[in-house]
Amino acid sequence: MPFRPYPLIDRAGRFAPLKAAVFVLLFVPGLWTAYDFAMGNLGPRPHDEATHEVGIWTLRFIFLSLAVTPLRELLQWSKLLAVRRMVGVAAFVYAFAHLMLYFVHQAFDVVKVASEIVLRIYLTIGFVALLGLAALAATSTDAMIRRLGAKRWRRLHQAVYVIGLLAVIHFFMQSKLNVYEPTIMAGLFVWLMLYRAVVAASAAARKAPLLVASGLAIVSAALTVLGEAIYFKLMMNVPMARVLAANLVFDIDLDPRPGWIVLAISLAVVIVAALRQLVLRRRPQLQTA
Amino acid sequence: MNIKRKKGWEIPESQATPETVFRNRRRFLTAGAAGALALGGGAYLAIGQGGDAVAQAQPDPSAGLYPAPRSMRYRLDREVTEEKVSTTYNNFYEFGTSKNIWQAAQKLPIRPWQVKIDGLVAKEMVVDIDDLLKKVQLEERLYRHRCVEAWSMAVPWTGFPMKALVDIAQPTSAAKYVRMETFNRPDVASGMKASFYSWPYIEGLTMAEATNELTLMVTGIYGKPLPKQMGAPIRLVTPWKYGFKCIKSIVRVTFTDERPRSFWEVSQGSEYGFWANVNPRVSHPRWSQASEEIIGTGGKRVPTQLYNGYGDFVASMYTDLEKSGERLWM
Ligand code: HEM
Repeated sequence: MPFRPYPLIDRAGRFAPLKAAVFVLLFVPGLWTAYDFAMGNLGPRPHDEATHEVGIWTLRFIFLSLAVTPLRELLQWSKLLAVRRMVGVAAFVYAFAHLMLYFVHQAFDVVKVASEIVLRIYLTIGFVALLGLAALAATSTDAMIRRLGAKRWRRLHQAVYVIGLLAVIHFFMQSKLNVYEPTIMAGLFVWLMLYRAVVAASAAARKAPLLVASGLAIVSAALTVLGEAIYFKLMMNVPMARVLAANLVFDIDLDPRPGWIVLAISLAVVIVAALRQLVLRRRPQLQTA
Repeated sequence: MNIKRKKGWEIPESQATPETVFRNRRRFLTAGAAGALALGGGAYLAIGQGGDAVAQAQPDPSAGLYPAPRSMRYRLDREVTEEKVSTTYNNFYEFGTSKNIWQAAQKLPIRPWQVKIDGLVAKEMVVDIDDLLKKVQLEERLYRHRCVEAWSMAVPWTGFPMKALVDIAQPTSAAKYVRMETFNRPDVASGMKASFYSWPYIEGLTMAEATNELTLMVTGIYGKPLPKQMGAPIRLVTPWKYGFKCIKSIVRVTFTDERPRSFWEVSQGSEYGFWANVNPRVSHPRWSQASEEIIGTGGKRVPTQLYNGYGDFVASMYTDLEKSGERLWM
């Protein structure tokens, strides 16, 4: 069998620029972190910092792989599907590196790492997510799709929704006091999941994906705001009104509250999609299968 | 409880301390998010006010007091952490939740600075920091510092025993606790604008703890006045407790018969309590405290010691409390 660089070619064996570009980009955060590590740019606790850096990229890759299907519809960009498996496999590789960095940080103490995974719920959850990603990565090849059959394969790979949820919970639970970024990720997760659910449930929704996505952007942002207030109430007994009110304080010194970020990111996607649809309508030849 | 203190004459092991450059940990979620933020943030930028005056760089009037003579009673079993490392890796939530707040903290004006002493005292008073410094004897002490996040450092603090402050304050016999409070200045400390944390920062000690010989009111480090990110002009250091007990930039000391509820206890009482004594056998709910990473050593990990190795000085304060079911270790 001749050597076939799968990440760089399409099914017909032609060079696939999108796949090739994504393939290269997936290495960048890892190499960047490795470079920073080697140069001593990661502060006085470099392993900890690298663990965090790689962990956050794992989560981003899981999210990107979850976003492929909605983005494909919204952007009318069917080629995107070709990069989904690659992004998913990258998420697994990063998750594994994340675990290895933790291992190094614990001075290679296998017993401690194992007992910590059992003892700390957030690590158990992360570990289950990692096992899930491993199963998906192991079955990510064409041969495995054939062996399992498309239907069973798809059902297996729906596990990524659960993995995404576990990853967000892990992110929340490892936070000390500041749950700013986990809250944003949770809000975006809600947006992605609601979009899928609505589009799957309603034929009418499928005909107007942009409308659905923008409506759900607002819903998800509102849920983020509410969820944040509930979280602070439950975890720190902060009056909900105070957390809700923080959403209306605009101050250059403060990061916008997570609800606003969720709204901004999801609406930005909708706007880009709308612009692209305008262009495609004028120049349909751009739309390639 | 019996533990062995490292002998003063033990030679610290040599550890190469790498030069480190720090960078902001803040990051965008995805490349796409940056654009979205720019869009979403427009209104917010327009409304926001960027008028924080950066504190004037004025010479520290107490600079002449340093370096103070080093006390030989408190020895280290490890190398002193490099100044550049310890002064750029700081938890100071008033200025933000990352460790990289040392620049933001420079906005804090530390003169004039007054400390109010009140509560169960013979006479309430407000002392100016420089007057206070004239009344006490500064000394340098080498202490280990163990953060609850399982990292540690070893630094040369300069300060005076808190006992001296208690003597100045003259608490009545009804006083059982000392409650300490940090400045409340959201105008210069932007982290304090996060309205849902319970500002200002509060910490507390029992009278026995406050007058323990180890308990130090710290005003300097590395033979110089304390830098702002480390809690200038005056902070607490209790080396047998987790670092969050060591309240920074104190403006008020109150003697009371009620146990103070600290910032962390209010925020997350299930993880951070009043006592917070270092104990390698009692885990934080989310991580083991059995070992600690010494910062600036490229990841060197050492076993954590009971009371951070200061049991000979402090363990006796807790023998009765241990039986009473107090959560001494968190
Ligand atoms: C799919 C699997 C996983 C994902 C997506 C993930 C993601 C993350 C994220 C986003 C963070 C926070 C990073 C930050 O705040 O900058 C994090 C932290 C962390 N993760 Fe994971 N993780 C996964 C699995 C694991 C596993 C298997 C372990 C180890 C057993 C682990 C150990 C940790 C540790 C120790 C931290 C830092 C906690 C702290 O600083 O207190 N993770 N992870």
